[in-house]
This record gives sequence, C-alpha cells and structure tokens, in this order.
Amino acid sequence: MDKNESFIAAIKGSEGTIFKIASVYADGAEDRNDLVQEINYQLWRSFDTFNQKSSVNTWIYRVAMNVAIYHLKAAKKRVPTVSIDDQLMHSRETEQDEEAARWTLLKQSIEALNLLDKGIVILYLEDKSYEEIAEIVGISVSNVGTKLSRIKEKLKQQLNNQL
Amino acid sequence: MELNELKNTWNKAKSPGQNQLNVNPELMKRMHDQKYQLKLRRIILPEIVGSFVCLAAAGFIGFRFGKLDTALLQGAGVLSILLLLLLPVISFKSTRQLSNGNHVDQSYAETLKAFAHQRVRFVRLQKLNVLLSYLLLVTMLVLLSKLSGGKDLSANKYFWLYSFTAGYVFLLFYSNWVKKYYRKTLQQAEELLQELAA
Repeated sequence: MDKNESFIAAIKGSEGTIFKIASVYADGAEDRNDLVQEINYQLWRSFDTFNQKSSVNTWIYRVAMNVAIYHLKAAKKRVPTVSIDDQLMHSRETEQDEEAARWTLLKQSIEALNLLDKGIVILYLEDKSYEEIAEIVGISVSNVGTKLSRIKEKLKQQLNNQL
Repeated sequence: MELNELKNTWNKAKSPGQNQLNVNPELMKRMHDQKYQLKLRRIILPEIVGSFVCLAAAGFIGFRFGKLDTALLQGAGVLSILLLLLLPVISFKSTRQLSNGNHVDQSYAETLKAFAHQRVRFVRLQKLNVLLSYLLLVTMLVLLSKLSGGKDLSANKYFWLYSFTAGYVFLLFYSNWVKKYYRKTLQQAEELLQELAA
C-alpha cells in the first residue's frame, strides 16, 4: 500500500468532521473551503510523522483543530459573521429551513465561546468521551468535566437569550 | 433548543463531499504553495517597500550629516538613523512571529498557548512601534527643514511650541486608537492564557 492509499484509508469517514470543524472556525463559505483544503493538506503532510502514539482519530482532530487556529493567525482581520450554510445541510426540502435555522443557532452559540471552550464543545458534539477530549486537547480528564459543565451552562444561557 | 437538540443538529449536518474523498497530493501541494506564495507576497511586499524607504531616509540623513552643525541637530540625526533602522526590524520581527513554525500534531492546548503568547507579543511590538514612530516624527521635523532648506527650525521658539502641542495631541489620539484597536485581542489572549494555566 503506498502513502496515498494508506492516507485515504486512515482518514476515510472523517471528511464530515473536518468540514464541520472548518465551518465553526472559518468565516464564510470561501474561507471554510480554504480551511478544509489546508487541513487535508496538513494531514497528508504530517501523515509521515504520525507515529501511532495516539489513535488516528486523535491525530485527525488535533491536526484539524490546530490548523484552524493557525488559520485564524494568518487571517489578519476577522469579523465574525454567521451565514446560513446551505451546503452543510442536506435535509429534505421541507425540513431544510428549520434545520438551517438550528445550524445557524448552533454556530452562533459556539462562536461566542472562547477558543478553548470552542475546541472542547466540538469534541463533545462529536460524542467523544472525557478521556478522548482530554487527550486531544491536552488537559486533565477532571478539567474536561469542569469545563464542560461550565460550557453547557454558557450555551444554555446563550440559547435562552437567542430564543 | 436544548443541548441534546444541538447535538442532533451537529450530527445531522453533513458536508457535500462526505464519503467522496478525493486526495490528489500533487494538486493539494500545488494549491497550498500558490496560496502560501500569495499570502507571503501580500505581507512581505509592503514590509520590503517600507524597509527600503526607511533605509533610504537613513542613508539621506547619513550623507548630509555634515550639515548638522549643532549638538541638538546631530543628536536628532543619530536618533533618526537609529529609529529608521530599528523600525523595519520590529516590523519584520512581528511579521515573522505570525509565520513561525506550526506544529500541527501537538495538543490543542499547546497550540492555544503558543497562539495567545504570540498575540500578546504582537500587540506589545505594535505599541512599541507606535511610540518609536512618534519619536521619529519629532526628530524628522527637526531635521527636515535643516537638511532640505538649510534653515534651523529648532532655533525658532514657536516651532517647539506648535510642534510639541500638535505632536502631543496627535500622540494622544493615535495611542488611544491603537489601545482600543488591540484591547480586545490582548484581553482575549490574556484570558485564554489564564484559563489554560488554571
């Protein structure tokens, strides 16, 4: 198996995750597509040095979220905006408006969090365990628990304010 | 909307390219390199032009240094040359920080720490830049009239009165603007560092 085949096998199934992470950190569709491209490129580049110390999943999340941070660094001026991302929602037409509105609300709530909380909440939404979140983020498991309960409170408040 | 509903919304969202992964390393590399070059040019080109202007001005003062016949003018000349050499260095340093080595597979917290530290350093350098630019403005005002027309404005008491009043007002507004512009960035970076240290 050559590098390309091994790489594709490793990241197969994570395209949706990468896309959603990029959507949360990027500003607008063009910026998001740039970020998706950059994440894929950095994953491919760092695939050689990925030494199986962590799971493939942990490696993918770390690279995707770190690249998103470097992407913020490169973008000099960033005005946070929220656009309804029609590409992201592939629901049936009757459900589309409702789903799009929910996605917008979700994105707005996540965007209001700081970068650390944002990373943790993405992993929570991805159904990661506290142990996995701790490994990807690089904080203790107990810290993940404390932070997550605070983040949930913040999100609840934001949702109440927005509704 | 409850938190569980948020989770459902997140899980329902799918990317258009999901399950259609096409990886063409050659194409990815080419596109990445093109974008990188473009970004680099956008940042580096104004830096190079600015540095060239600073060096040319420093050279101009250096060549005409003999014309500066009082200790005050000579002092202003030396200070101007030093500032004109220092400002591009600071500018390059802050730009270099932005493109410094990215370790994409380290933990998210480590990346955030490095990111926040860089933000704090960047804002500090920008503040220093503003202060030094103001100092340069004052020394250049003293020098320019002497070097271009041969007149020593520093001997005129009104020059000092007006230039310092105007300079002070300018500095007040400019530094306030800089403080406001970077306050949020600095505050967010410091808060992030505090949270990561907790």
